[in-house]
Amino acid sequence: MSELTELQTSEPSHEMRAEIRRISGESHARRVAVSQVMVNLCRVALAIAAVPLVLLLYQLIKNGASQIDWKFFSTLPTTPSLLSPKATGGVSNAIVGTIALTVYASILAIPLGILVGVYLAETESKLASLLRVVAQTMAGAPSILMGLFAFSFIVHDLNIGFSALAGSFALAVLMLPVIMISTEIAVRSVPNTLREAGLALGAKPHRVSLQIVLPSALTGIVTGVILAVSRAVGETAPVLLVIGGGFINSWKPFDPVSAMPLAIYENAKSEWPAQRAQVWGVALVLVAFVFVLSLSARIWATRKQRIGR
Amino acid sequence: MDQLPNVDLLEFEEEAMEPDGSVASPRSWYNNTLVVAALVFCALSLGFVGTIFWTSLPIWIHHGWTLLTGKGWTSPNGPFGGLPMIAGTVETSLLALVIAVLIGLGTSIAIVFLLPARLRTVVATLVELLAAIPSVVYGLWGLLVLAPWMETTVNPWLNEWPFAKDIFGSPGQEFGTSLLLASIVLGIMILPTFVAISREVISVVPQDLIEASLSLGATRWQMIRKVVLPTSRIGLLGATFLALARATGETVAVALIAGSVANVQFHLLYPGTSIAAWIATEFGESQSNEIAALMALGVILMALNVCLALISRKLVNRQRKLLAVS
Repeated sequence: MSELTELQTSEPSHEMRAEIRRISGESHARRVAVSQVMVNLCRVALAIAAVPLVLLLYQLIKNGASQIDWKFFSTLPTTPSLLSPKATGGVSNAIVGTIALTVYASILAIPLGILVGVYLAETESKLASLLRVVAQTMAGAPSILMGLFAFSFIVHDLNIGFSALAGSFALAVLMLPVIMISTEIAVRSVPNTLREAGLALGAKPHRVSLQIVLPSALTGIVTGVILAVSRAVGETAPVLLVIGGGFINSWKPFDPVSAMPLAIYENAKSEWPAQRAQVWGVALVLVAFVFVLSLSARIWATRKQRIGR
Repeated sequence: MDQLPNVDLLEFEEEAMEPDGSVASPRSWYNNTLVVAALVFCALSLGFVGTIFWTSLPIWIHHGWTLLTGKGWTSPNGPFGGLPMIAGTVETSLLALVIAVLIGLGTSIAIVFLLPARLRTVVATLVELLAAIPSVVYGLWGLLVLAPWMETTVNPWLNEWPFAKDIFGSPGQEFGTSLLLASIVLGIMILPTFVAISREVISVVPQDLIEASLSLGATRWQMIRKVVLPTSRIGLLGATFLALARATGETVAVALIAGSVANVQFHLLYPGTSIAAWIATEFGESQSNEIAALMALGVILMALNVCLALISRKLVNRQRKLLAVS
């Protein structure tokens, strides 16, 4: 037996293996200890990251829920005075304004965004690859720039003035690249065999695109659209510059309107405690709005995976 | 496959396919519609850059480099110096980035490797939901909850430290709003964005590599340090730049909690502002001259953002190619 071992260790590879085993045995305790420390540091980082976010959601719900009643949704805001410091009224103008802005922005952005997205997916040209870079850059551009654009183009150059139209134009510019990129990805992920099958059956290219590719890509496109809408709903900076902050419920595109993010921004700095408290209610409604939209986008996306399988 | 739409099999289409099999033939009305849409978008993006630049052009000609290097901002007719806002943007977003990357990297590693598999998807969904919270809500929370807490608790506590006064300054009554608070809230804001991307980058590191290193006797940390992080480093860098781009462009949260004072300020407990926040706070009360100057600030912000976006795009693409090869 001992002879056998000697025979083995005399080979260079076995010597090396023994040496490695010796070194690793020596450093084993240290390596495990370092690993423990670092892994626990990662756990601590997760905990640190969770604390402020949980705190934010908790305070939002705690302070916001008590503000919400029927009057909150149905009446117009009033300015508190020394005689009635708690008379804040409701925020119906902001809710109506947000819905109007989102609807108009969707009408402007969704058809164009889907068309350009399909163009990007189905063409291989210099223009397409250029537009792709432009879209990705615009998707990350600071939203206040959309506000500046809408101000100088709609409010100033076209002389339409502070209006829901200007706000929804800014939001549409914000939504466009998001819709384009997700449409392109969805259309590209449709298997080529489907396209080829359609063409082999003698369908014209546009029929293949409209009746085979687009329906198959629909779930992906809808997910992207919902995500774009949910981003637009919460944006403050672009609408801040151009919608004018109207104090009436108005659905008309050329009227100045208010919006929920704008109401939060304006009233958070208010000198009246009642108005500052009411802002939490608006924020809660806004976050609920956004969460419902993004969750439904996620549910659409999982539906897509199920069908794809 | 039950979703396949009906295509009428018996209907015979007269026109032949293109010999190269291209999907959209150049002559069809459908293709024309797509091209028109692309051109509309092209015009829109050109208009986007062109309009903002054009409106600010008189100010660039008249004031020139003062917009980049001047220190004072006097409404309504100038001089308009952009240095305080540029400095504020750089300070707040870099500090926020440090906070977000330090905590975010650990968080993504913990989510991918340390959480039980069932919790993983739940936490990932939560992170993406948090990234969707509108920034004005973070601003509101910072202004109404954190700022009073900073003023009554943190600022006095910080000032008891030996050199803290020299580093942070010792403010009086600013209602707790400061560059430091803005950076912290920005860091919390971009954290979900950073984690969402870096988690994805880390989780696509090939399982073979991970298992190979573990089977060679590496500890969990050695596997992360020597295999996962090097493999995904370019993608992580891309995520960092994306988070930085988001931090530099953030408007309302900074406008609410940085204090809106146009001073070049390196003592972080004093109020300051950033480019985007200054545009938001000043725009309402501005006349034509100042609006043009704010547009010029917008041009600076756009240039900064485009640079960051292009760098991050390049990095993320490189990471994708790298993993596709290996």
